[in-house]
Amino acid sequence: MNIISDLKKVATKSPWLYRINGGSCNGCDVELATTACIPRYDVERLGCQYCGSPRHADIVLITGPLTAHVKDAVLRLWEEIPEPKVTVAVGVCPISGGIFRESYAVCAPIDQYLPVDVNIPGCPPRPQAIIEGIAKAIEIWREKL
Amino acid sequence: MSNQVTLLSAVLLFPGGLFALLFGLALKGADRRVAARLQGRVGPPLMQPLFDLVKLGFKRTMVPSTTASETVFLGAPLVGVVSMLIAAALVPISGVYSPDPMLGNLLVLLYLLMVPGIVLMVAGSASGSPYGAIGFSREMALMLAYEGPLVLVVAAVALRTGWSEGHVISFSLTEIVRHQQVHGAFLFDPVMWPAVAAFVFFYPANLGIVPFDIPEAETEVLEGPLLEYSGPALGLFKIMSALKAVVVLGLGIALFMPLAPSGVLGLAVWLVEMLVLMLVGVTVVRVSVGRMRIDQAFAFFLKWPLLFAAASLAVVVVV
Amino acid sequence: MNFLTLLARNLWNGPSTEAFPFGPAVTPKRFRGKIAFDAPSCEGCKICERVCPAGAIRFTKTADGLGFSCWHDTCVFCGNCEFYCPTKSVHQTTDWHLSHTQAEKYSMVESGLIPNQVCVECGATALDTAPSVAAVKPPMSAEEVADLRGRCPKCRAKFLKARRAKS
Repeated sequence: MNIISDLKKVATKSPWLYRINGGSCNGCDVELATTACIPRYDVERLGCQYCGSPRHADIVLITGPLTAHVKDAVLRLWEEIPEPKVTVAVGVCPISGGIFRESYAVCAPIDQYLPVDVNIPGCPPRPQAIIEGIAKAIEIWREKL
Repeated sequence: MSNQVTLLSAVLLFPGGLFALLFGLALKGADRRVAARLQGRVGPPLMQPLFDLVKLGFKRTMVPSTTASETVFLGAPLVGVVSMLIAAALVPISGVYSPDPMLGNLLVLLYLLMVPGIVLMVAGSASGSPYGAIGFSREMALMLAYEGPLVLVVAAVALRTGWSEGHVISFSLTEIVRHQQVHGAFLFDPVMWPAVAAFVFFYPANLGIVPFDIPEAETEVLEGPLLEYSGPALGLFKIMSALKAVVVLGLGIALFMPLAPSGVLGLAVWLVEMLVLMLVGVTVVRVSVGRMRIDQAFAFFLKWPLLFAAASLAVVVVV
Repeated sequence: MNFLTLLARNLWNGPSTEAFPFGPAVTPKRFRGKIAFDAPSCEGCKICERVCPAGAIRFTKTADGLGFSCWHDTCVFCGNCEFYCPTKSVHQTTDWHLSHTQAEKYSMVESGLIPNQVCVECGATALDTAPSVAAVKPPMSAEEVADLRGRCPKCRAKFLKARRAKS
């Protein structure tokens, strides 16, 4: 029992990130790229790594207001991610719709379709805020594991 | 009986199995950390690949509904890991370990080295994913390109050892290592330099390191054959690639540079050699160049490494 | 071979990563972060609600007075509210620690209340807003402003008219 909880503690040191762009303006995506690729914010210190395949993901970062066009694709993609996973909404768009709120073209708050765990508001959020949110997501992930 | 126990411990504990796995993971961790430093970042902890493995153990394995055969899909990584375990037990560490001739020789090692590539192809096509299929075709093209030079390099080394030892050709790794300990490493033998050059081109391709990581390119084909794998099955692939790093680098050292004192010091020297080879040959190359296209890589391998390998064979035969 | 010197320089100079998740982060002085509302200095003009592009700022009339609320989960941190606010009672702070769990989603609100008061002159109930005195000539003293503040809008207009006639 003790060994398993120790192993879980070790496992939380390797959260792999996966980005889903739900019709975002790409502002948040640029900030996400910055978080990983710019030496100043190096998210790899937390063991994070962007993975190309949804099957490898642990923490899902969703950007964009979930436009009507991509809604089904995003939901299908989210289903493909194996449990346990943590969903993080990055930017105000997926959280509430932000500037696109109540538009006919967006299905904005994504929490009506997916169980969101952590929200990182901002338009776009600064890289430090994203790192802070990821740290919160790791805490939640540890409980889910 | 005791012979079987020795063989089993060589495959499962040292130098194959546990030792090779931990060392391979540490090599990968060092690679990631030094790559981060070269890019001006702090980088992950040294044992990050081990953490990744533990994490993958807690995840669920998903079998896609499009899979051709569930048995093949889940069995492929196992085959890869077993082949690499045996291969790791075949690599000699000069002054410390020489493989039992019962386990196999250089030819067996050559065949075992092809298995991970084939496993990736099988896995990619069994997943039923179009990205897996693309990864499959790229892996096959790349393998066709790099296996030729490797065979020629190995033939050159075997011929050179065999002729000096009095018979025609020697595929025994123990004998190759012993020959070099007596007559000096092939690395310092001008006759063998083309072979060294060809091997230097071969191993990034076999390990799937950046200029030649075309089959598993995550930005193009979403990690290709590995796309549909998750959880423990993906962990097996990570174990396979960690073992492969040890096998391929160890093979390079055994073929060209097996100079070390015996005992614990010899092991330490071998470990440092492996680390230096990994950092200089893999990490620095990885962070300084971009990925090639598959046609470029194919043409490249059919031009330079094949030329070098053929030249080395010709030089060995003539001299 | 430029990249090799670059790599060597990186290795030599060491990482340029911020300490952030394990240490304090650098925040620029003029960073546009969380909105803060200072109720006593608000004039109640509601221009911020009008210019807010994301509709994050909302004024609601209640029995106690005029309520201000800004939901940070829909605010786009453009700074329009601060730009248009005549008294800068709506302003942006440099606080960017906004990430929160789903349970806290609807509590990410900056709220304030402009209370009701009883007019000292006519006894009517009116909002205790800051009087708009920036354009009044000659400039008003602090006592005069405080005196003006205690009145309802109609009595304020009367007060200012009387003051203009006097000068």
